[in-house]
Amino acid sequence: MISLNDEKIPWQEGMTVADLLSGLNDAHNYAVIRVNGKYVSRPNFDAYKIPDEAEIFLIPMVVGG
Amino acid sequence: MTNFELKELKTLSYQRPEIDKGYANQSLYVNITDPDIAIKPVTEQMKEIFIGGKGFDLWLLWHAVTPRTRWNDPENTICIASGPMGGTPAYPGSGKSIVAAISPTTGSVMDSNVGGYFGPYLKFSGFDALEIQESIKVFASKGLPEDGYALSEVLTNHFAGGKPRGISVVSTGPGAAHTVMGCINFTWYDNKRKRARYKQAGRGGLGTVFADKGIKAIVARWDSVSLDSNKPADKEALRSVGKAYSKEIVALDPKQNQMSKIGTTHLVPIMNDFDLLPTHNFKFGQHKHAGLIGKDVYKDIFDPGFDGCWMGCTVACSHGVKDFVPLTGDYAGKKVFVDGPEYETIAGCGSNLGVFDPYFIVEMNFYCDTYGLDTIAVGTSIAFVMECFEMGLIDTSHTGGLDLNFGNRLGALTLVHQMATGEGFGKIVGQGVRNMKKVFAESYGADPGILQDIGMESKGLEFSEYMTKESLAQQGGYGMALKGPQHDEAWLIFLDMVHNYMPTFEDKAEALHWFPNFRTWFSLCGLCKLPWNDIVPEDNKEEDEPAKVMKHIRWYAEYFSAMTGRKVVPDDLIPMSEAVYNFQRIFNVRMGFGRREHDTIPYRAVGPVTVEEYESRQERYDDQLTDKYSVDIEEKSSEEKVALLRNFREEQYEKLKDAVYQRRGWSNDGVPTVETAKRLRIDFPEVLEVLEVSGR
Repeated sequence: MISLNDEKIPWQEGMTVADLLSGLNDAHNYAVIRVNGKYVSRPNFDAYKIPDEAEIFLIPMVVGG
Repeated sequence: MTNFELKELKTLSYQRPEIDKGYANQSLYVNITDPDIAIKPVTEQMKEIFIGGKGFDLWLLWHAVTPRTRWNDPENTICIASGPMGGTPAYPGSGKSIVAAISPTTGSVMDSNVGGYFGPYLKFSGFDALEIQESIKVFASKGLPEDGYALSEVLTNHFAGGKPRGISVVSTGPGAAHTVMGCINFTWYDNKRKRARYKQAGRGGLGTVFADKGIKAIVARWDSVSLDSNKPADKEALRSVGKAYSKEIVALDPKQNQMSKIGTTHLVPIMNDFDLLPTHNFKFGQHKHAGLIGKDVYKDIFDPGFDGCWMGCTVACSHGVKDFVPLTGDYAGKKVFVDGPEYETIAGCGSNLGVFDPYFIVEMNFYCDTYGLDTIAVGTSIAFVMECFEMGLIDTSHTGGLDLNFGNRLGALTLVHQMATGEGFGKIVGQGVRNMKKVFAESYGADPGILQDIGMESKGLEFSEYMTKESLAQQGGYGMALKGPQHDEAWLIFLDMVHNYMPTFEDKAEALHWFPNFRTWFSLCGLCKLPWNDIVPEDNKEEDEPAKVMKHIRWYAEYFSAMTGRKVVPDDLIPMSEAVYNFQRIFNVRMGFGRREHDTIPYRAVGPVTVEEYESRQERYDDQLTDKYSVDIEEKSSEEKVALLRNFREEQYEKLKDAVYQRRGWSNDGVPTVETAKRLRIDFPEVLEVLEVSGR
């Protein structure tokens, strides 16, 4: 299992960030997420493999600066 | 123990007015030559049109100077104000001060916002704004420390009377006097660590104006602060909305950017991933070692604590480094506390110099603050020097023997120490990028064309630390910012480049109307922008315009109404800012700048200047030339492709100007029209006179 914004969801071997987001209907809002405290950005979504038991937070649209 | 003498030059006894709905309803004028101290009324018209904060600063400054006033003329006036919401402990980010004066870097109006307790304490002491004019002729103090670090501590202890939290010191340091990039330090007292700490009004050399007037420091003293201190019109409504906002931040910041733990250092890896972190004088936006200066490193370097630069702020992003021991300068080998670094300092004094050493950045941060230097201007200026050095435009015969290749940490620190004393090559670097371009071309024989392309300044102000090559909207956000390229007016990179929310010129123009105006609103009210959109409600994506974070804007409208008793809804906030925003543009026109030609940016901000840059992202640029501009590049050399891309991109930027000026109600030359001035009720006779002279 992994935790996504405090909700438990099943983990799968080889699961990438892109795989995770493909199951969301609002994935386009997220250009950055945090996996176990590490930021992962959209250019790396396809390659980044999520470990089991990961704690993940979706970072809202970055509009700051 | 520091031994020093203070001599009283002038005293004004006054009856402190009760604060009413966020206003003291008067301002304080100090002439330090005569010397003279006077109290001026704040009129209903000032409150209605200019709101407070930056609005009051601009109105007072307009009446203090003439179109011929130079930054170091006696009549140039340093104005400091908070705003009607400034000093509210219940609502996050409500402690900002805004400083304005004629800038030594741009020659026109400069504004800079800063945390610390001074602005609120000034207001609670009876004054919505402070004006300081003329230059001092008799030094009123003797024996005080020169540097901002020691001075802040000494004066806090001197005036505390057992209550150091009631003191805020405004001062600068020796670098401000020897450069044009001086900052002003604003303190607050850290009860946990038992020491004065500070934030900086950094941009545009306002510290240099401060030093030029011979001002050592300004000290405000106040007692306790509560929700009643501002005497809000509707205390319960204010308490309610403040509680909701604070609660949301406490709940969501740990899930989102964790600013209460790592400040703004999270931006380093994110900007790097998107090719937006400036490295090597804005040549590139990414570096393999960026992780060495990001949040994963600084979270372990920062001294843990809940650190806000204003009371009760739950964003609490003001982190610092305890027991840091500098390797150079007067503090070498001694333990000091360093406030920061924040993202801008990390990028400016780190990656942009080709340095990925977190402790070097902390040392640069420490000495810039201590010497009263703007870390952004210092970083961008040294980055420019390093590129000139590597290109052979300057050499060791110009730098006093310093090897200034990218990555030279000792060289960069040496320049900062030289800026503090006005000696060596650092004295020239301290004059900023615009002045250096002139010196390098006229005295060193460097090619002025390449200097213009890689010298990252516009209007005379050094760029802050974001790459803009792939975001036309952010090129406009920097180029059309009133004071020069600083991101506090518009930060549109992600909305434009990553999310593609503004595909057309009209979309970009709308964003370059709305965002600068809404961001201006914070500086009118004495507020920090960070709580607005750096912590975002979980249901924000359901909003029609998620980029505006409308739930928070509705709360801000409630907050303003509860404080001032002036009932407003979200749609009222932009027109409030528009009046001040356009007044500032007209102020620029009055000072001889503020037209289309002044919104020019160096090509490094627009596209690849060199073949090296082009070839580093060749696939991206080749695709644009073929797909977007339908160019056959088969037989083209990289040099030819650089030139072709430049033509297209520069043309796009000019088209953007057209669209933005039209949306803002300005002429095609970038000057607000008389109709715009009338619509915003800033059609004062002296404003119309400026517009008439400018042919609008």
